[in-house]
Amino acid sequence: MDLTLLADPVFFAQNLVDGVSRGALYAVYAMGFTLIFGVLDIINLAHAATFMWCAFAGWFVMAELGLPLPLGLAASMCAGAALALLLELLAFRPVRRQGADRLSSMISSIGASLIMVSVAEALFGVSTRRFPDRVLDPRPFFIGGTGGVRVSRAQILIVAAAVVLTAALGFFIRRTRMGKAIRAIAANLNASRLLGINVNAVVSVTFLVAGALAGAAGILVGLLTNNIVPGMGAQIELRGLAVVILGGMGNIEGAVAGGLILGLIETFTIAYLPGGSDIKDAIAFVILFLILLVRPNGILGRAAADRA
Amino acid sequence: MIRRNFPRLLIPWFIGAAIVCLDVVLVVRNPGDLDRLLINAILALSAFVTLHARLLSLANAGFMAIGAYTSAILAVKAGLPMALAIPAAVIACGLVALVIGLPVLRLTDVYLAICTLGFGEVVRILIVLLPGLTGGATGANLSTGFPYEVMHQAQTWMILLLLILLAYLFWTMSSSRTGRAFRALRENPRAASTLGINIVAYRNLAFLMSAMIAGAAGAFYAHSVGSLDNGDFRFTRAVDILSFAVLGGSGQWFGPLLGAGLLTALPILLRDVVGASIGFLRGFAQLPNILSGLAILLVIIFMPGGLAAAFGPASGRASGHRRSKRTAASAPVPGHPAFPGLASRGSNAGGPTLVLDGVTRSFGGLEALSRVSFDVEEGRIYGLIGPNGSGKTTLVNLVSGLDAPSAGRILWQGREIQRHPAHLVARAGIGRTYQNVQLFAEMSVRDNIHVGHHAHIRTDLLSTWLRLPREAREEKASREESMALLERLGLADIAGQSAGTLSYGDQRRVEIARALALRPRLLLLDEPAAGMNEVETARLGQLVLELKAAGLTLIVVEHHMDLIMEVCDQIVVLNFGRKIAQGSPAEVTRDPQVLEAYLGKD
Repeated sequence: MDLTLLADPVFFAQNLVDGVSRGALYAVYAMGFTLIFGVLDIINLAHAATFMWCAFAGWFVMAELGLPLPLGLAASMCAGAALALLLELLAFRPVRRQGADRLSSMISSIGASLIMVSVAEALFGVSTRRFPDRVLDPRPFFIGGTGGVRVSRAQILIVAAAVVLTAALGFFIRRTRMGKAIRAIAANLNASRLLGINVNAVVSVTFLVAGALAGAAGILVGLLTNNIVPGMGAQIELRGLAVVILGGMGNIEGAVAGGLILGLIETFTIAYLPGGSDIKDAIAFVILFLILLVRPNGILGRAAADRA
Repeated sequence: MIRRNFPRLLIPWFIGAAIVCLDVVLVVRNPGDLDRLLINAILALSAFVTLHARLLSLANAGFMAIGAYTSAILAVKAGLPMALAIPAAVIACGLVALVIGLPVLRLTDVYLAICTLGFGEVVRILIVLLPGLTGGATGANLSTGFPYEVMHQAQTWMILLLLILLAYLFWTMSSSRTGRAFRALRENPRAASTLGINIVAYRNLAFLMSAMIAGAAGAFYAHSVGSLDNGDFRFTRAVDILSFAVLGGSGQWFGPLLGAGLLTALPILLRDVVGASIGFLRGFAQLPNILSGLAILLVIIFMPGGLAAAFGPASGRASGHRRSKRTAASAPVPGHPAFPGLASRGSNAGGPTLVLDGVTRSFGGLEALSRVSFDVEEGRIYGLIGPNGSGKTTLVNLVSGLDAPSAGRILWQGREIQRHPAHLVARAGIGRTYQNVQLFAEMSVRDNIHVGHHAHIRTDLLSTWLRLPREAREEKASREESMALLERLGLADIAGQSAGTLSYGDQRRVEIARALALRPRLLLLDEPAAGMNEVETARLGQLVLELKAAGLTLIVVEHHMDLIMEVCDQIVVLNFGRKIAQGSPAEVTRDPQVLEAYLGKD
């Protein structure tokens, strides 16, 4: 470990900024993921593929059609919502109708994911695509002069978007009628059906929301890394799982906290640990495995009995 | 009838034959594809083992990579002969599987999917991080220093031999004690655990077998292809492997072989043969993956059992006792007091056999049971009654080990069992039935009873695979005891039917028979008369009394007060999780608190 780095407050602050923005990104991605788990008790393994397609949708609107960032974001979120709804209709609802167990749902989502990724590879190839520079000024701000902490506009946008989306999702789940129905289904799907809740409609809305969150994450990752490839879903998938486990499966606030924790740990490992950048991809798995070992319900997770 | 069914019965065989034909065409066109076909078949079996146990493991590609690199490194860098390198690689996979499986398989099935997905990625990261050993991101070429050309021809036979060996192992296992335990676990893990099956151990066994088979496939892959690249073991590979088993079906062992046969040949032939006329197929590198994904989606939605399901249910080897006409033999045979297996053991010199001491179970602040205490004397019948939601089923779940009390002790024959998992409680002699019948619906009645014998059969997998005489002996004894038990309960004529097709009353009696096959000393019946008509209820009452006469202790949860009053020696009354009364039927019916609970205050 480089001790001079430890003493450098600018370096520390820089990593704090990078870690928080990275973590906010994971949080946005994981919120949609954990929402679906919370409601249906299944992991939607096509969430990462949805996210990847959304990034391409945003790229198409901004780079090919030349439209500005807000429209790109809107297009990406709409694409995500539409794809997620399609998944619900084609891959999840038929399985639910059979009364099959959640194993079948997970398997069908894997099949859907493979198709989505393969089609993207066939259409887009493996070369990297980028958002054009004009959608967001790439020049960073500096806090404390040119030698100070570098904050890019993308990072500001990511953190702002994460705050807004978290608040909006929280409001939606807690304060609206639809949110109440979603919570009812999360608590007990069959009882909700008996009470007259249109389960299929509410589940569809849940998928729309989760897909829109994947869409937002797709654009934000594209802005931060400027690396849009069909394999980008695979890079975030494991991190999303780790975040969801960290925060407790189905727990939205947990996903936000988990995202921040993972983002910070990754950034600081890369910065302070020799060879850190080589192992950064494995950090998520190590965290995931350790938590399953010690505290399976996550750091903020509810006890299993309360969920039952 | 037979004539009309004839063509339908042939359909699965036509499918099987068509797949074999495709594969023959594939191999004749390019003999080099045979290795790939065989390795895919082995990989399919590795995915099958876990799916068969209702586990979603995405680690197959990761274990394949570990097997491939371990064997290759040992052979090329350490100069080990293949006969040592490959087994070493398989063992390495087994060890890794234990490290991952032991902590994760205690949790619900979702966690294995998550953890194995991550595991596959980490294996690839490690490969890239260790370039000295693995060639890192650029890959390892094994042909340098490896007698590739010489070995290759023998390779194919080795892979074929391994596949045949595995097929034999799966075939013999499917009708053994272990195979039944897997099928029981697959259909209903809770019921399986209360019949003495250690579901965590079986899940670990499945994961271990899956890992070792995938490792063997990987090792042969390395020696067959001659060069390795971490990109060979991506997530898409894991999904491909999964698709073989899903398409083929996870119910029967030969299903995944069909799946692998179809999904290996189809994309190659489509690309090479059909692609000759339809140009765009030729360069379509993603075609195999898209077909795999489509196969998964279509099969899961339109034929959940996969191809193998068309061949009929898995409990194939059932013989005789096909639905013969139902005769008056349905009534218990009089003058036949002994229940097979339930040798009446001398009574325990009085004294309580089961003691509940201040048992409390709270669900997040709500106390479903609150400080309930009572003793159960051996050889007597206890009625457990109370209004809906009074905690009766919670209590049965606690005693049978499906749930653990938040406070208090449960003593069985003097030993505390409140922290014991269900399978140990069952093995200690506590059997149960369920309020909603929990039979293994797709298994025959006879096989349901066989599962009940699980704890009393000692045959392990090795004896099964080596066909030791012990297995034949124990299986025969189990079959005979099952039939005797079914005859005793008047169920012999439905022994060959799938449990799910029976009438409600028959299902309830089969469930009791299955619990008796465990040879319990205490039997918990959770609303055994629910849904029964008067005749059936009366017959049930008689059965309960006969079981008592055979030396069994019973706790009966029931709403039919006639039944309770008629058979019980003691009645315990629960209301809102508290014991409000206990005594003989006469005492309880006079108790003012009981009257209030049932009839309300005036």
